[in-house]
Amino acid sequence: MSAVAAPSVYAGGASVIAVGVLLAEFGMFRQALLRDQVRLYAAQSALISVLAVLVAAARHLPELYVLGALSAGLKVVIVPVVLRRLLRGIGRSPGPDGQATDAGPGWTEIAGSGSLSLASTVLLAIAIAAFGFFAVGAMGIRSPVLPPIALSISVSVALVAFVLMIMRRDVASQAIGFLAMENGISLTALVVAAGMPLILEVAFLFDLLVAVVVFELLIRVHHGRADSLSTADLTRLRG
Amino acid sequence: MSAALPIPLIQFLQVATVAVAAPGVSGVIARVEARMQGRTGPRILQPYYDLAKLLRKESLAPEGASWVFLVAPVAAAACYLTVPLLIPVLTSYGLPLGYMGDILGGGFILSLASFLVAVAALDTGSPYAQMGASRAKTFGAITEPVVLFVVFTVALVTGTDLPYALAATVRSSASQIVRPAHLLAAAALFMVILYETGRIPVETHTGTNEFGMIEEARPFEHSGPYFALLKWGSAMKQLILYTILLNVFVAPWGLAASTQAGAVVLAIVALVAKAAALGVVVAVIDNSFAKLRLFKITEFAAGAFLLAVLGVFTLYLGGG
Repeated sequence: MSAVAAPSVYAGGASVIAVGVLLAEFGMFRQALLRDQVRLYAAQSALISVLAVLVAAARHLPELYVLGALSAGLKVVIVPVVLRRLLRGIGRSPGPDGQATDAGPGWTEIAGSGSLSLASTVLLAIAIAAFGFFAVGAMGIRSPVLPPIALSISVSVALVAFVLMIMRRDVASQAIGFLAMENGISLTALVVAAGMPLILEVAFLFDLLVAVVVFELLIRVHHGRADSLSTADLTRLRG
Repeated sequence: MSAALPIPLIQFLQVATVAVAAPGVSGVIARVEARMQGRTGPRILQPYYDLAKLLRKESLAPEGASWVFLVAPVAAAACYLTVPLLIPVLTSYGLPLGYMGDILGGGFILSLASFLVAVAALDTGSPYAQMGASRAKTFGAITEPVVLFVVFTVALVTGTDLPYALAATVRSSASQIVRPAHLLAAAALFMVILYETGRIPVETHTGTNEFGMIEEARPFEHSGPYFALLKWGSAMKQLILYTILLNVFVAPWGLAASTQAGAVVLAIVALVAKAAALGVVVAVIDNSFAKLRLFKITEFAAGAFLLAVLGVFTLYLGGG
């Protein structure tokens, strides 16, 4: 059997950053505190901005600098700050009887909200990521700016974000899962449409802000009704 | 001006370097760890004194223990002395005996040693030794797939599974170093090494709490020279694993390219220095993480498995 040739340093480095995005997504399964979850999302977004800047520098696409800066400002700074303030606000509001609620050990504690054990979840996510990898790899889509593997990884990021949203039974992780899925889609856009008009990219980024507002509303309403972030409480509503 | 050394001597020096330097690497880690905690810590040479003391002591066997109990430490040490023949310890070119076995062969011999120690622990009838053996085998079964996937990565990267070939590939160009498959496999291997050498976050190396013990509990019933051999063996296993990580994956530089005496001596110094540097990294990890609860070790193994599997995936998609 012959050896698999190494990619160029640029392609290898870009793939490593893309793999880092995927690993951050897997790391979200493990986080036990909401604060860390948000931090990991910020790190993941930062990696994508770095990748955008790298592509801009290596492939001479100046508008990607603007995109990188915008997405860094929005997803590394603004969205995490908004999320953190929202979660702090929830933490302060006491339950109806003024006592600590039965939502668990604390409002930021989201450990154990997974419906499977962590190791099983990771194995399941590996299987699903593998599906994304090879399904997209089989399409053979070539991109002039990034190695094709980045496309496979970006689809895996979106799929693993789905697993996170399905497996975690707390609203906050589900919101983060949704935002992380958007990160996967940004990565896809970077691979297949790096030359897309900037105005479209910016429109997508601001779509994200709308999503954050919607999720903020959802989290607030859910927390107001159920006094917890856990969606397991919603099963009580069954007739 | 240095003379060329005969090949058999270099071959012997590979084994001798590992055997002699191994306790020292453990000593460096213990020392650095203690200094980082604000303690003075033991001398770096302390493990050698421990071994010398144990070798002079009498040895006792538990009642009912069979010959397996006494043979296992010697046989395990023999296994650990065999592996350095197969991996690039000092030279960048393959020595004649280096082609006796590939990475998988070395892995088999290491598992054989660990199996023998576990059998000896079972033979004692002591609950702690048996518990350690049982845990080591249980968790060994879930770290084994990680090692296999790392070997697959090596096989895909080089087209062979000889450790010398991978070291040469890594040295050949920068693009071989930044490729994701290589980084992922090296990281996965490092996590397995943390498990295999009984370091935080899997196990406290110096603790006396038997309930958290895995590797450390197994030689509980051995004493005297047999215990010394087991301790020496686990130090050698640690240095062998470090050597595989350093000289094959992470830093295959500083190896002797010729048979000149000067180059070989330089390679010995380089290996010890690199192993000590890796030991410092391990000591930092030891001091900055908490030990995982026993049933969380599967999560650690799942993390390592994720890295190794991603490495193979990236290779199959042609981008790794």
